[in-house]
Amino acid sequence: MAVTSPTVHQKQKMNWTPYLFLIGPLALYLVWIIGPMLYTFYLSLTDWDGISPEAKYVGLENFEALFSSLGRRVPSAFEYSLSNNLKWLLTFITVPVGIGLGLAMVLNQDVKGDRFFKMGIFLPQVLSLPVIALIWSYGVYSPRGGLLVSLLNMGIDDPPAMLAEKHLVIWAIILAAAWRQVGYIMILYVAGLKNVDPTLLDASLVDGANAWERFRHVIFPLLAPVTTIVVVISIIDSLRSFDMVWVMTKGGPANASSVLAVLMYIQAFNNYKMGLGAATAVILFAISLVFIIAYLSRVMKDELEY
Amino acid sequence: MKNNSKVVIVLLAIVALSLIAACVPAQPAPVTVVETVVVEKEGETITVVETVEVEKIVEVEKEVFKEVSPVAYNSMHGDPEPRRVDEMLVQMFNEQNPDTPVDQSTINHEDFKQAIRAYLVADPAPDVMTWFAGNRARFFIDKGLILDISDVWEEQGWNEDYPKGFRAMSSVDGKQYFLPSSWYWWAIFYRKSIFEEQGITPPETWDELLTTCDTLNEQGIIPITIGTKFRWTAAAWFDYINMRLNGPEFHLNLMLGKESYEDPRVKAVFEKWTELFEHNCFIEDAAAYSWQDALDPLNRGEAAMYLMGQFITDSVAEEVQDDIDFFRFPIIDPDQPIGEDAPTDGYFMSANAKNAEGGKKFLAFMGSKEAQTIMVEELGRLPVHSGVDPGLFNPMQQKGIELIQGADLVVQFYDRDTTPEMADAGMNGMMAFWDDPEAIDDILADLEAVRQEVFAEEE
Repeated sequence: MAVTSPTVHQKQKMNWTPYLFLIGPLALYLVWIIGPMLYTFYLSLTDWDGISPEAKYVGLENFEALFSSLGRRVPSAFEYSLSNNLKWLLTFITVPVGIGLGLAMVLNQDVKGDRFFKMGIFLPQVLSLPVIALIWSYGVYSPRGGLLVSLLNMGIDDPPAMLAEKHLVIWAIILAAAWRQVGYIMILYVAGLKNVDPTLLDASLVDGANAWERFRHVIFPLLAPVTTIVVVISIIDSLRSFDMVWVMTKGGPANASSVLAVLMYIQAFNNYKMGLGAATAVILFAISLVFIIAYLSRVMKDELEY
Repeated sequence: MKNNSKVVIVLLAIVALSLIAACVPAQPAPVTVVETVVVEKEGETITVVETVEVEKIVEVEKEVFKEVSPVAYNSMHGDPEPRRVDEMLVQMFNEQNPDTPVDQSTINHEDFKQAIRAYLVADPAPDVMTWFAGNRARFFIDKGLILDISDVWEEQGWNEDYPKGFRAMSSVDGKQYFLPSSWYWWAIFYRKSIFEEQGITPPETWDELLTTCDTLNEQGIIPITIGTKFRWTAAAWFDYINMRLNGPEFHLNLMLGKESYEDPRVKAVFEKWTELFEHNCFIEDAAAYSWQDALDPLNRGEAAMYLMGQFITDSVAEEVQDDIDFFRFPIIDPDQPIGEDAPTDGYFMSANAKNAEGGKKFLAFMGSKEAQTIMVEELGRLPVHSGVDPGLFNPMQQKGIELIQGADLVVQFYDRDTTPEMADAGMNGMMAFWDDPEAIDDILADLEAVRQEVFAEEE
């Protein structure tokens, strides 16, 4: 009698308290996130212009319009957006991650002034994206007196105006975004490195591993959870990019720096084509979903193992 | 056991309280107005015994609170000079009409173009808004989002005081929806001193323009500066070359979607445009600059010309103000009638306006001879009200008026004459052309596809 009742009693009590806590946030989540998401799905199947009281159902016309615009000689905004998002994604999961990890490794050792460097490298994260966009577009890339041009002028004869060249513009924007991202990644890795068990490192030293082998076989695998987070954050940030592009070029010149979020905004709010904008948003969601599912399935698998 | 349920109850209480707090209506807007009036009254009642003062203040607060019905006015005049005058006019109105004070909200020009969509469908919508004439306004009028203000036109006598052309521009199906307030002309503005030094006279024909570019290039001066970051500055060149080459009527029909973008006449415009590239007429990397950024070379004397609206004089450096003059865009085909861009700004009211009466009062003020005269004196814009004293116009304004009076047809501007979606595609096409002139056939084919889709919907 005494053994079973408390357990049963405890189980019953545990059941409703956590759910009660969850009701508030869940309600907000439903209203502010899920609701609009479902509404966007619905809108993507209409030709609503954002103003008229009625929206006509047009099925998958919006999606057809987007995908049929691929492959032209002058790439469409959608084509540019897809390729720019891809470039952004691939760059973000390699460059800031690599540099951030390297910086974290270096600054993790007893380097003089390491806190100063960490703070300085993290500082761009504190600035808001539009501010960074303005700093880079006027201070660095401006063809009349910007930093980049002044530097290039010393070697190159006719330095390009980064934000005006259609092949260079997206890289210029990605560079500015990556500059900001490096600090964040570095801090994450610094925290991760602190959690690496020093006894394991000592053991590897005893086994005669050199610095590279130590990194490759001991440190990096132990950083796996941090790397997962870092990669997911990088992917999500790269797909979400809007502020930088909008402030620096508004997607120009002639759509060359357009990304899906910018395209969605222009279609929905500039061109009064809510349906088309919603369709673009749905495509963006679908792309993000692929990566999120990959991440979640990995994380859930790990949890089950525990 | 008991502790757990206590915690839960407290938590529920907190949640309930916060929900209630969130539901309390926000303080009404007139608070600031109340404060100013109270201050003035305080000044008057200084000699009264303190206790009485306090009572009076409370009374006054209540009174003013009941009577004030603010007018929400959203303005796009974000640039420093227009903003100063705009706020000056609002203040004048507020002093004359303390019971319907105008609550002004100004955001920058470019962002307003996006924001207006949200304004018009908001509830309550702002009462009065700045906007452009032409298709831009029609787009909303056709959707029933704009208030019919024919009664204000009638009451204020604008049907007589405003020129026919402007009245026609503001009307749809015989009813007035728009209040035009000022217009400005477009022309090629140039530095007089540079022209004098190089012995150049303002070009009147296309060939003369090309020769001018060559002469300036030889001297290391940038012939024409332009900032195409936001695209519409490039559209100006399209407008003018099209009007000079093919006539303003063809241009207008193209804007209205009645002509094809693959018409050889349209391609001819771009071929002429290419001649400007061949003669190195434009500043390099134009797409990296906003139109204001591109003013810098003109200010410094590094560039000579800029095809721009008259509002360029607001932003030109002070030292350079007297050195600026303009000439009409050169003639290409002397047999074609002359068309000019003369965009007209103005105001309209939303159909969902909360304070339609107050809004109409404000409109009546803004459209009056008084307000229009101030706009002329302070901003150098041309007024629509024919009662404004013509002696007020300085030589440049008189020249501008003559320019427009000499035109056979006056159009608004590329992105105001055609629908927003067509304008977006068209301007992107022009930017693509600027970057890669060889791709013009593909660009025009794409634009034609957009035109058919956009204008087919309207039929």
